[in-house]
Amino acid sequence: MSSRVTILNAGFETDLPLPLAPGIRAGFPSPAQDYLHDTLDFNKDMIHHREATFYARVDGDSMRDAGIVEGDIAVIDRSLDPRNGDIIVAYIDGEFTIKRLDTTHREEGYIELHPANPAYSTIRIDNPDEFRVWGVIIYTIHNWHNY
Amino acid sequence: MYGIIDCDNCYVSCERVFRPDLEGKPVVVLSNNDGCVVARSNEAKALGIKAGMPYFKLQEQFPDNKIAVFSSNYELYAELTGRIVEIIKQEAPAYFRYSIDECFVYLDGMEGIDLKAWGENLHRRIFKSVGMPVSIGIGPNKTLAKLASHFAKKHPGYRHCCMIDTDEKRIKALKLYPIEDVWGIGRRYTARLKEYGVNTAYDFAQHTQGWLRATFHNIVIKRTWRELNGDDCVPNEQLAAKKSICTSRSFPGMITDFDELRTHVSNYAARCAEKLRLQGSVASIVSIFLSTNPFREDLPQCWSFQEQRLITPTSSTTTIVQTAAALLQQVYRKDYQYKRAGVIVMGIGPKSPIQQDLFDHNAEQFQKMRRLDEVVDRINRLQGSETIVLGAQQYTSRDKDGNAVGKANVFANAIKHDHRSPNPTTRWSDIIRLK
Repeated sequence: MSSRVTILNAGFETDLPLPLAPGIRAGFPSPAQDYLHDTLDFNKDMIHHREATFYARVDGDSMRDAGIVEGDIAVIDRSLDPRNGDIIVAYIDGEFTIKRLDTTHREEGYIELHPANPAYSTIRIDNPDEFRVWGVIIYTIHNWHNY
Repeated sequence: MYGIIDCDNCYVSCERVFRPDLEGKPVVVLSNNDGCVVARSNEAKALGIKAGMPYFKLQEQFPDNKIAVFSSNYELYAELTGRIVEIIKQEAPAYFRYSIDECFVYLDGMEGIDLKAWGENLHRRIFKSVGMPVSIGIGPNKTLAKLASHFAKKHPGYRHCCMIDTDEKRIKALKLYPIEDVWGIGRRYTARLKEYGVNTAYDFAQHTQGWLRATFHNIVIKRTWRELNGDDCVPNEQLAAKKSICTSRSFPGMITDFDELRTHVSNYAARCAEKLRLQGSVASIVSIFLSTNPFREDLPQCWSFQEQRLITPTSSTTTIVQTAAALLQQVYRKDYQYKRAGVIVMGIGPKSPIQQDLFDHNAEQFQKMRRLDEVVDRINRLQGSETIVLGAQQYTSRDKDGNAVGKANVFANAIKHDHRSPNPTTRWSDIIRLK
């Protein structure tokens, strides 16, 4: 019986993800094997509705006293139902604005958007049924290092 | 049952996500090189603006800037529609993306669920999460689902979802449906059918199968007839024909080995890349499907589909093969005996943004572009087809804000896209500002 040897090329072009689960035979028996978890990842762990999540940059200081300042990145979730007290994004008079939502006067026929800076005025919305919140702010990120 | 989710005036709706002030206003989107109108809002349609209208004609007819005009922004459209697909994946047992703005879903296993309510809810979720309105049609096959979606789009009473789930509804819908709009019947067949007195989908479906066989030899027409009559017979991958490129094969036997599958899938992917280059296109979405042998009911069955959006549209073999291989990894399961696999590339656009545009009226620019094309073709012929790829690949040279730099910038500026909107979902420099 003749034997043939075929040289196969090793393909390195794709990665095979190794599931981090107990029972996988690693190169060495690791005492950590039973405690393996994925590394903490902000995107994966903190953002719950990726398809509804958008980023924005804060201009100006209308929310300064809430700890949100010029240059901060805001993470917006459009899928959430806005509640009283939420910091939200709205589109008013041709621009996106970030304000705190106040629905306490809804029964009286209006809602308010509050800034967090005495230099800015509260916006009153008189037809709340037609008013659309663009999204709810879930995080703001302040950059202290400036890469 | 099948569903189809169809974005309403897709490109316009994408532009409106970050421009809520444009809702209810006439908006158009222009083709590559700002040549002609490729998308219109309902308000623009009402003003008499027709699809394909040359931009200069639009400017003549509406000189007062009452119409919001945008250049095509495929980067934005692909990203936003990708979010819709992500939602669909969570809401339906199986899906098949047909084009950039349409997605079929397979709804078997959802008996007992009020599918019309499901569809209305799906629209609401997509509209809230992404800001894009969609119309949903549900029916016993893809042709009828598509038919239903047209009614959903045209009549607000359907609340964005129309379902054909009884014979009575089917017949009623067919009677109201012009034959030229039926999916699968193009202009050529419409003319012929009208000679036979067929004006509606119902007229067509009412003919006997005998008449059909004697009159038409085209399998698509025959399948359409059967589907209008309630049969489910358009194979899932046949959908790829129009707006995408598909390469697929059935295997002589059945395959369970991953590496063997990967070899096949890589070959199909390479062939798709070749076809793209042959027609001078690039694609922005790569997808694969894998299926078992439906005739072997004794074996576990599955039909899997997975797609990946490419950051830069390409016709490069390497990129498409690598993407297809990665997708295969995601769908492959060792318990199945696969009978058929395929690679489908979608979101196809012209390779060179500096392209001959039918409505291009600037002779000087046209000449420059033609000369450029000739040079590129020659270099590619001499040095191999990947030497120079104009178009999207030119833009891959970017500074940290996402702006094209160096040579890429030269080409970027040679293309007219004076009305390009920003890219707030793909470039940090373009994210929306909050005051």
